[in-house]
Amino acid sequence: MSKHHQETAPFVERLIFNNRIAVLLIFALLTVFFGYQAAQVKPDTSFEKMIPLKHPYIVNMIEHENDLPNLGNSIRIAVEIEDGDIFSTEYMEALKRINDEVFFLPGVDRSNLRSLWTPNVRWTEVTEYGFDGGPVANRPSYTSEADLDELRANVLKSGEIGRLVANNFKSTIIDVPLQEAYPNPDNQSELIQLDYGDFSRQLEDKIRQHFEAENPNIKVHIVGFAKKVGDLIEGILKVVMFFGAALLITFVLLLMFTRCIKSSLTTLVCSVIAVVWQLGLLRTLGFGLDPYSILVPFLVFAIGISHGVQIINGMAIEYPTSQGSYDAARRAFRSLYIPGIVALISDAVGFVTLLLIEIEVIRELGIAASIGVGVIILTNLMLLPILMSYIGISKGAVERNRVRASQPQKLWLAVARFAHPTVAPISILLAIAAFAFGIYHGKNVAIGDLDPGAPELRADSRYNLDNKFIIDNYSTSSDILVVMVKTPPEMCSAHTTMEAIDQLEWKMNNLDGVQSAVSLVTVAKQVIMGNNEGNLKWQGLSRNQDNLNNAISRAPSGMFNAECSLAPVMIFLDDHKAQTLSRATAAVEAFAEEYNTDNLEFKLAAGNAGIEAATNVVIEASQTKMLLTVYAVVIFMCLVTFRSIRAVLCIIIPLALTSVLANALMAFLGIGVKVATLPVIALGVGIGVDYGIYIYSRLETYLRQGLPLQEAYYETLKTTGKAVTFTGFTLAIGVATWIFSAIKFQADMGILLTFMFLWNMFGALWLLPALARFLIRPDKLRN
Amino acid sequence: MRERIEGRTQSTVQAVCPNSGMTLRKHLIGQRALRALGFTAALLLPTGAVLAQDPQPIAEAPQAAIMSDLASKTLLLDVVTAGDRLVAVGSRGHIVYSDDQGESWTQAEVPVRQVLTSVYFVDEQNGWAVGHDSLVLHSTDAGQTWALQYRDPALDKPRDPEGPGLLERPLMDVWFRDTQTGFAVGAYGIFLRTDDGGATWVDRSDNVDNEYGMHYNAIAPVHNAGLFMVGEMGSMYRSSDYGDTWETLDSSPYDGTWFGVSGTGQTGQLLVWGLRGNLYRSANFGYTWEPVKFDGRAPQATLLGGNLSADGRLAIVGAGGVVLTSDDHGHTFAANTRADRVALATAKRLADGHLLLVGQHGVVRASANGLKDAQQ
Repeated sequence: MSKHHQETAPFVERLIFNNRIAVLLIFALLTVFFGYQAAQVKPDTSFEKMIPLKHPYIVNMIEHENDLPNLGNSIRIAVEIEDGDIFSTEYMEALKRINDEVFFLPGVDRSNLRSLWTPNVRWTEVTEYGFDGGPVANRPSYTSEADLDELRANVLKSGEIGRLVANNFKSTIIDVPLQEAYPNPDNQSELIQLDYGDFSRQLEDKIRQHFEAENPNIKVHIVGFAKKVGDLIEGILKVVMFFGAALLITFVLLLMFTRCIKSSLTTLVCSVIAVVWQLGLLRTLGFGLDPYSILVPFLVFAIGISHGVQIINGMAIEYPTSQGSYDAARRAFRSLYIPGIVALISDAVGFVTLLLIEIEVIRELGIAASIGVGVIILTNLMLLPILMSYIGISKGAVERNRVRASQPQKLWLAVARFAHPTVAPISILLAIAAFAFGIYHGKNVAIGDLDPGAPELRADSRYNLDNKFIIDNYSTSSDILVVMVKTPPEMCSAHTTMEAIDQLEWKMNNLDGVQSAVSLVTVAKQVIMGNNEGNLKWQGLSRNQDNLNNAISRAPSGMFNAECSLAPVMIFLDDHKAQTLSRATAAVEAFAEEYNTDNLEFKLAAGNAGIEAATNVVIEASQTKMLLTVYAVVIFMCLVTFRSIRAVLCIIIPLALTSVLANALMAFLGIGVKVATLPVIALGVGIGVDYGIYIYSRLETYLRQGLPLQEAYYETLKTTGKAVTFTGFTLAIGVATWIFSAIKFQADMGILLTFMFLWNMFGALWLLPALARFLIRPDKLRN
Repeated sequence: MRERIEGRTQSTVQAVCPNSGMTLRKHLIGQRALRALGFTAALLLPTGAVLAQDPQPIAEAPQAAIMSDLASKTLLLDVVTAGDRLVAVGSRGHIVYSDDQGESWTQAEVPVRQVLTSVYFVDEQNGWAVGHDSLVLHSTDAGQTWALQYRDPALDKPRDPEGPGLLERPLMDVWFRDTQTGFAVGAYGIFLRTDDGGATWVDRSDNVDNEYGMHYNAIAPVHNAGLFMVGEMGSMYRSSDYGDTWETLDSSPYDGTWFGVSGTGQTGQLLVWGLRGNLYRSANFGYTWEPVKFDGRAPQATLLGGNLSADGRLAIVGAGGVVLTSDDHGHTFAANTRADRVALATAKRLADGHLLLVGQHGVVRASANGLKDAQQ
């Protein structure tokens, strides 16, 4: 350690390198604390966080939450017989055993359970003297042909075909309403919150596996919000395994890069500490880990590694001229902490733009990522050099680095040709073509989710296959848009209200993409017909108010609220594509414009399709705003750092090409802009700019020294090229494991981020020197 | 409207009232009179807020039917021929017509949006459609355009918040003797007559002895005998002078409601049908009745509507997709149930042998026995 160092060394460097033991102690204590906190982070799938709470649709929905039917919280179990039909002893016995098992699952609302075996599923028929009826299944068991014939007749009279009984008579549904909280069986006064993960596992173990194993002719299909959430939680837990895989692959890459086990392990440990801190901080600040923000630990780890590699690389370069590990670490720190902090802060600022989007999960993702990169400044820019000052780099690695630096490197010589005067114009032309290609195809990118079924899960996931089974075999759709019809109390059944609802239903029925619309009007017409001996000719709205009141008094619960001031109109859609949703909501809005009065208001929207429609609107509006902001931030950072518009162009144009091509990729792969992919666009730009900054800053240094462009670029590549490519690959690997996630949107995020990280690296290496050929004047730089 | 008697079957009621028919009928009539005045339901839900409004007419002025591609695919209730053209009527003021035996349908312009229950063409050009609000529509161009001829005058009266509410009297069937004289009949004993081609319609309810205001559900001519009319709770009426004077019959073989009546094409012979698959035949203009025999199982579902074709074949359909067909003037029937079990309102034999079914899902061109949909 020389005196010279001590005097000129920046304050930060002196602060931490002169108090190494104290700093290490503080880090150790904080790591223990955050480790304890991180261990308590729970998967969190709060529904409200995933929706734009300030959108008028959602505001309306929340305002009337208690008046709306519980559309979500039940599961449906379809029990299918593969060979034969449901009117058989074998089927009815199996169904009874499954029904009984489901009955005793904790959290099941037993009084409202419905299946062929429950007494609340009844048949009715019109007789000379009114209605006649009884439970569909009224025998303890079905063994004789006569009994089965009677069952068949009852089912046909029950009106449950297409609802509880499949259209092809090969399956029936057990409809299982759930209680969010249920009394503890051991202590009735205590309420237990329903644990979706646990409930979903019980469905798998006790119902599906058990009964499919018991009779291979029986197949069980399960859908519903609770099952979907259970599958999502399961998916999140599996993602943890991906973290292990990313860790392992990164370690191998690190070894190949540094050829030094000591420094590889230290870098890895520091990056894991960054992750622990980030998770611990999240928990301390009161956030959970949802399926979106679980991306952040991967990013933090990868970004941590890439900055750690810069430190190790710097140490290896400084080693030959230094007096031991301590000196080398200190010199590496000094040369890297400012660009490192600038790069990380620009990342963080880029993530902060996510706060512009009024969807809580995206905001939390932005917060978590910002915290994460902030933490990296401490763990990988400070802790790592201190640790390395004790540990040191193996002699072999240092020697190898020295030898290689003095030899010409074929790969980098070749890459440096991108700066050649004849190659550069070709690159520019290719880039223009790529821009045109990307913009042309990128226009087809859709907003929202495009695949049928539960968009969170893969199309071929068990859940979505089950969902498809139910949609194919029952008269039902899983995409429901709910319009809330608001009236003064006791007015929901007024003829004027009912007539207007009827008009809305008919308008929606005629709309492309709408399967059917159901409301208390639909029910009232059926009841009025039923009260008139089932004569089809009576199937209309009565003008007699008593008849209408009488008719809706027989409507199932949820068709209007207790004070008869709100009635939902449920509109069943073909799918949840953005076009379908916006067409439906536009039609309802136009209708509301025409029909709304002081006493009658048609309000959008609830139901999964209503929520998705609102989300799409917010996403579409935020997309441009967010892109502009993130680019503005990045351009500003570059301008501040390089003070040259030409430099900014060299860095930003390759970045913009990546964004444009990523858009085209989304169009090709059928990935829509949605809650999951919108932040990815910001992350890609925020992190992607690092490559350009690293390369350009080195290039500028060599140009200032008077080297011609191609030579300066070769020197740049020799010093940072390796680190830049390494960074590209570590980042890509960190997120590429996601492509295998069971959760569809995580896979989408993985694909897009992998593409953006790799292509940003490639774009910086390929296009930046070509642009520099035209934009940068070395003679000016030298002055 | 019928009161609901939950969980009671015919047999249990008969066990309670051993003297069966008449006692029960009176009991129910008492109830229905109350209900017609809107009393029972008024106790169920408060209605004050609804009625406490400015004195407006009970119903708004009629609005034209909305043109829709779904008009031929949603609830239709009757179908007839106007020359070679098929004309069908149904919900929301939908009237559709087809010039290619039901392959494709065009929606007519109609000045109302109410449920239309029945349609009748007296010749190739002149037809009438009737429905809820006691509506009568008239077409002089084989069903392409329709004009409003009559609407329940009570609908234009101011709303009375204290009153029992409107007694709705939808028309259920219509028949014309010639281009001038016709009859439209329906709920609570409404019986309208015109003698000037519908320019004026006069309420002639007192022409029929119907003390308790039973619904009339169907009216049809019987070959060489006269007009026959059936309705609620086994009620039957006949007119030997084709509508001028009426005789109320007490020969009904069944107490339940009749929904349909049709001549068989043979002198004095007719069929009536109604609730729970009841289908009876009379060879003497309604003096005596005998149940119709079936090939195989008799239908249990309510039979709603049907038609006699010129060659003496009959088709009767009803709830649950039941289709009855006869090739021998209604002496024997074959009963089938369609797989989709969608409720059917009526059926018509087409010239090419196919059966045109009309009901909850609009019009369907089906095979001769009604079971399979015809290839398009």
